[in-house]
Amino acid sequence: MAPTWKLSGFGTMGAVYSSSRSVDFTASVLRADGAGYTRAWSPDVDSRLGAQLDVGLGDWSGVLQVVSEQRLDGSYRPELEWANIKYQLTPDLAVRAGRIALPVFLGAESRKVGYTIAWVRTPVEVYGALPISSSDGLDATWRWSTGPVLHATQVFAGRTNQDLHNGLRIKAEHIVGLSHSIERGAFSARLSAAGAHLNTAIGQELFAILRSFGPQGGVLADRYEIRNKRVSMISAGMSYDPGPWFVTAECGRTRTDSLLGGGTSVYAGAGLRRGAFTPYLGYAQVRADVATSDPGLALDGLPPPLAAAAGQINAGINGYLATIPVQSTWSAGLRWDAATNIALKLQYERVRPREGTRGALINNQPDFRPDHAVHVGSVALDFVF
Amino acid sequence: MRALPISLRRLLAACALGIVAANASAELVVVVSSRSPVGALGADQVAAIFLGHATRFPDGAQAFAVDQPLGAAQRDGFYRTLTGKTPALLKAHWSKMVFTGRGQPPREAAGDAAVRRLVAGNPSMIGYIGREALDPSVRAVLALP
Repeated sequence: MAPTWKLSGFGTMGAVYSSSRSVDFTASVLRADGAGYTRAWSPDVDSRLGAQLDVGLGDWSGVLQVVSEQRLDGSYRPELEWANIKYQLTPDLAVRAGRIALPVFLGAESRKVGYTIAWVRTPVEVYGALPISSSDGLDATWRWSTGPVLHATQVFAGRTNQDLHNGLRIKAEHIVGLSHSIERGAFSARLSAAGAHLNTAIGQELFAILRSFGPQGGVLADRYEIRNKRVSMISAGMSYDPGPWFVTAECGRTRTDSLLGGGTSVYAGAGLRRGAFTPYLGYAQVRADVATSDPGLALDGLPPPLAAAAGQINAGINGYLATIPVQSTWSAGLRWDAATNIALKLQYERVRPREGTRGALINNQPDFRPDHAVHVGSVALDFVF
Repeated sequence: MRALPISLRRLLAACALGIVAANASAELVVVVSSRSPVGALGADQVAAIFLGHATRFPDGAQAFAVDQPLGAAQRDGFYRTLTGKTPALLKAHWSKMVFTGRGQPPREAAGDAAVRRLVAGNPSMIGYIGREALDPSVRAVLALP
């Protein structure tokens, strides 16, 4: 038997405008910049290109997917998104080994394929909460049914070690999780839970100095340093899509017990399909389940030079904590299916960072004013081939 | 005197056939091989197989869907009736399946005769054809208006 090979791809050409000149709007915190402060119009928020090679041989199949999009270092160096080998043990049970994207939220695995979603991008409030997005290891998916309801239960275990920027890495070990999807006609839903132990050197210098401030410094460093910290994510989402209209909603909770914070996010969106046009509306919000500021080291009784240093450390901690997002966004847009593999989208968003945080925005400048709405306009051309 | 009612009956029968024939071009039937043990299927069961959500017939036997070509009237009508999905929505659905490694779209066969030939020869296959293309090599398991 000869193996079958298939090459396919996807991509988005996008441009985003933001009304703020003191902060960047972006699709993910793992980006160098975005629209607003860096430039009023940014092509970097949504533009990407992906290519996938599928190979099949009987019950065996393999997938290799590479995606190029802006990274934290500003480059578009391609990253390996998927790289796994699947063995179909029975028609209902498949196991995979290699890299898989974490099956959390309704569609975290396919969020980079803009063509598959109605909006320009998945809401940053919900999907931006993911501290890790892939796992190198094993997974198994079992399909079963109860009457007319189809179930797919997926379990996974693995680890990940990603390069963020200039050698700064984020490592997750002992990743384990479960995802359960159900389909019944136009209704679909997914519940998922995942956990891991997280390690990264973010803020390392700050914590080293903090620990030199005795026991109270040690307590603060233990609380916020991302060293072997348990991270957990749970989510539930549903969608109803009979064709002429659709509605989708999801919620999730992330916990890290570190300076990455933790939060609860919700999202709801709906649209109408009128011929090739799909007008839609959405609302998303994320709130922090932890304090987004900390009094830090007590300055009382410290000699002035030490007190000044401690004050700087406290500012450093609070600088990190202010990046824990609290934000809400209203959005409205129009998707035009120009051809069966091309969609053009126009979207307006009113993004509001709250509670003194910078929300899901990045590169906030000293004149950035929290709790003020930022207006964002996007145009995106999605394609698959 | 008896000849008239008989010819009238024939005429009525011919009319009825004519109505069936006129509808036939729009009516689709979902077919399996005449050698397949699969009985009648529900619309949801057929949709699940064609969308890649189910890999088996209700009796547990493995199921492989056969599509008509992109742009064929049968294909558009089949998915519109069964799932409410336009060709663009189906493309989005399969893009999601392909780019998450969950599956590949059904294989395609060009036209009713080619689908019928493929399905007739393999009891694990399921396809859809115009009702007028039915012959004893395949069996209808679901009729779509």
